[in-house]
Amino acid sequence: MKDVPAVNVDRGKIPFGERIYLGPILGGLRVTLRHFLRNVFGQRDVATIEYPEVKRQYSERLRGRHILTTNEQGEVRCVACYMCETACPADCITIVAEEDPTAAVDHEKRPLSFEIDLLRCVYCGYCVDACPKQAIIMSREHEMAFTTREEAVVGIDELRQKGPIDQEDLGYRPYF
Amino acid sequence: MRQPDGSSSMLTTRVDAMLGWVRKNSLWPLPFGTACCAIEFMSVVSAHYDLARFGAEVVRFSPRQADLMIVAGTITDKMAPAVKRIYDQMAEPKYVISMGACACTGGFYRAYHVVQGVDEFIPVDVYVPGCPPTPEALMHGIIKLQEMIQNGETKYDRLKHPEPDRTASAG
Amino acid sequence: MTVSSTQSLTERHPLADAFPGDGVETIGNDADGHTVLAVDRSHLLEILRQLRDDDRFRCDFLSDICGVDYPDRQQRFDVVYHLANLDSGERYRVKVAVDEDDAVLPSAYGVWKAADWFEREVWDMFGVRFEGHPNLKRILTHEAFHGHPLRKDYDPGQRWLLTEKDIMTPEWAREEQLDDQHMESQVLNLGPSHPATHGTLRTVLRLEGENIVKAESEIGYLHRCFEKMSETHGWQQVIPYTDRLNYCSSMINGVGYALAVENMLGIEAPPRAQVVRVILSELSRIMDHAVCLGANLVDLGALTNFWYFFQIREEIYGLLESCAGGRLTVSYARIGGLAHDVPADFEEQVRRLLDYIPPFVADVDKLITRNRIFRDRTEGIGVLSPEEAVAWGWTGPCLRACGVPYDVRKAHPYMGYEQYEFDVPVATTGDTYARYLVRMEEIRQSLRIIRQAIDNLPGGPVITDDHHVALPPKEKVYTEMESLIWHFKLIFEGIKVPPGDAYHFTEGANGELGYYIVSDGSGTPYRIKVRPPCFALYQAYPHILEGLLVPDAIAILGSLNIIAGELDR
Repeated sequence: MKDVPAVNVDRGKIPFGERIYLGPILGGLRVTLRHFLRNVFGQRDVATIEYPEVKRQYSERLRGRHILTTNEQGEVRCVACYMCETACPADCITIVAEEDPTAAVDHEKRPLSFEIDLLRCVYCGYCVDACPKQAIIMSREHEMAFTTREEAVVGIDELRQKGPIDQEDLGYRPYF
Repeated sequence: MRQPDGSSSMLTTRVDAMLGWVRKNSLWPLPFGTACCAIEFMSVVSAHYDLARFGAEVVRFSPRQADLMIVAGTITDKMAPAVKRIYDQMAEPKYVISMGACACTGGFYRAYHVVQGVDEFIPVDVYVPGCPPTPEALMHGIIKLQEMIQNGETKYDRLKHPEPDRTASAG
Repeated sequence: MTVSSTQSLTERHPLADAFPGDGVETIGNDADGHTVLAVDRSHLLEILRQLRDDDRFRCDFLSDICGVDYPDRQQRFDVVYHLANLDSGERYRVKVAVDEDDAVLPSAYGVWKAADWFEREVWDMFGVRFEGHPNLKRILTHEAFHGHPLRKDYDPGQRWLLTEKDIMTPEWAREEQLDDQHMESQVLNLGPSHPATHGTLRTVLRLEGENIVKAESEIGYLHRCFEKMSETHGWQQVIPYTDRLNYCSSMINGVGYALAVENMLGIEAPPRAQVVRVILSELSRIMDHAVCLGANLVDLGALTNFWYFFQIREEIYGLLESCAGGRLTVSYARIGGLAHDVPADFEEQVRRLLDYIPPFVADVDKLITRNRIFRDRTEGIGVLSPEEAVAWGWTGPCLRACGVPYDVRKAHPYMGYEQYEFDVPVATTGDTYARYLVRMEEIRQSLRIIRQAIDNLPGGPVITDDHHVALPPKEKVYTEMESLIWHFKLIFEGIKVPPGDAYHFTEGANGELGYYIVSDGSGTPYRIKVRPPCFALYQAYPHILEGLLVPDAIAILGSLNIIAGELDR
């Protein structure tokens, strides 16, 4: 520990210029005044985002509300393999499986119900990582508010993609 | 402020509407910030999001001066009596926003020392999901609460003006 | 399912001669660079003293005390002490086993003051008593709690409710304790909900006028049971929990944990992942210092700086979000590397931040550093000598402000920190002002590291291709049977970490962030003990306060940067 390159940041005794308060105080006022004038006349430096009229542009990796993707026939791609349920640290996913009568092969499964408790969810994205079918992905929809806890438990109908996938507000998903 | 038959007079409707307008635009939040969500709450009040635009920048740590409690962060069993007490000390009308997974449901802490949702002991008006919610999500929750205050739909309003008993007035 | 606690020990160790008696049962070297001693309980105190005083060891620093429960073993509990000689960098682990029926150990408080709260935690979590401890009572759980939650037979969901009448005040703070001598004094309860406590800390003060004559801190208001939760989740699933330890700099925790597990697995993340981890960790350090300084200055009445610092934070959030998808709780590190590669414009974004941050730091510097009002309030306040600071187990910026240049990044380089040129900021006065100066300089040094790292960002993968550890790439999972099977096995069975134990530590934003991990070879951790830097910092706090004024208490608390998520876990 002796030969660590250290830089000493001690400032020692207060020099005269600082002891009379005035210099540093005026220097400080200059800083705040500069910010004030730049904000009033410049406008370009104003950091404030005028939500809800203006929205911050988040990246396409934002972990928001989940989407259950569908295939060409409009059925959810989920095969009820329980991988997302297993990977979820919050245990907020509940899947009930049934046999898929429309499948070409026997004993194919599909979800009878697929519920996510959006208030339990910690939006870590582990379900997306775990899914082997790209059936669950995340959207950028993060502005949510509920008035009851029951309202926050959403099923297949609320979660399934609404239109073509490229028209969804896509967030965290395997391909970028 | 309702007539005996359950309907409101024109005057009191106006007064209600004005009170709602006044209340919703001067929410003084008491941030009961305990954990990660409190840091996001700081973001909401700082330069980028600036909660002052909603008239809610007067952050008060004294329950007597606040009317909106934002529970931001995990509430543990050890903390629960303090939350309850502070809520009780707030002057009416009072509203509660539960911010983030932990405050709403306990989140992924299904554990021996964590309250599984603050609605175990205080009434919650708006639940904001996220872990932590983005600043936008919290502001969305606040806007939603403002609408609820304007329309008289909060838990406080329901307590004050329960749905009139139609069967009684019909007779 | 028994975990061998003394693996890889050699028969005859060079240090064996130092212990002529029969107190030391075994001595050896562990793979993680620790000298491991298994000690008999009856000789524990004398051996700990020898480790501190003997010139061959000179362990002036107690970093952690931790309990481990083995219900199948005859001697059910292990208590593990982690010691270090900060000068030479040598590390020691002392293990002592105790029976369940007679779970008593002598307290090490007389040897290192740092043992104070660590021993209370072991008592709270495991029910091992420490004889001679000055104040042995529950620390993390509440007064109405029954049982010891980290014992393996404790149900993770078993709650006990606390009501207001159960809440206890320390004996000395009760009104009936007022005697003639203390007639003038009063008790002030600071917290747990107080604007200056930043969340969830409570300190009970006895005041005479405005002078603090006695203080006691109560913690545990954010005890979210991280350690119990990690025992019920898979190795990879622990990462989102680590984010919420020190939530001001979540990336550092996740990286620290991933490194600790990688160390046990004997793997290393690819070079690109290492450099990205360094960049994001240093940015997280800047964010953490920004919150600490900003909040500390708000408490002292300087609000403007808070806005300036939060603008920095918001911009860093933007970068973290574009990498990981989360602003605050990133969950970006994975065991074996990173969750996925950084975005295409990563380099450009980092360079933009490197230009964006310094003006704001300079503004704060101009507002505060030479301001006499601030200096008068903070200079000479909350002073700790270097010896005391080490004895209390302090690390990080607070220790360096006392004049000890201990930084894990320099003393035990990891993740390639030895390649970067940076200085360790040190002050000698050990007061609140020094802690401010050290943090300001650390922000500049972190920027220096990032500048070097971004210039040398290598290409290549960001996660190991070992399919026992990392999920295979998605396109392979969709198309190849073999990858699908690996994927399936990893999700359902988890990573298999070889049985054994290891202590791995990194430099968190507040100091030495250690993970002591015990594995039994299954898909879930057997025990994870976090050594949170705040815990050691905060236990000295009530002792520093005695003799000071109430406003000083606020100034000192802010400068220590106590993050409740990490303190209480």
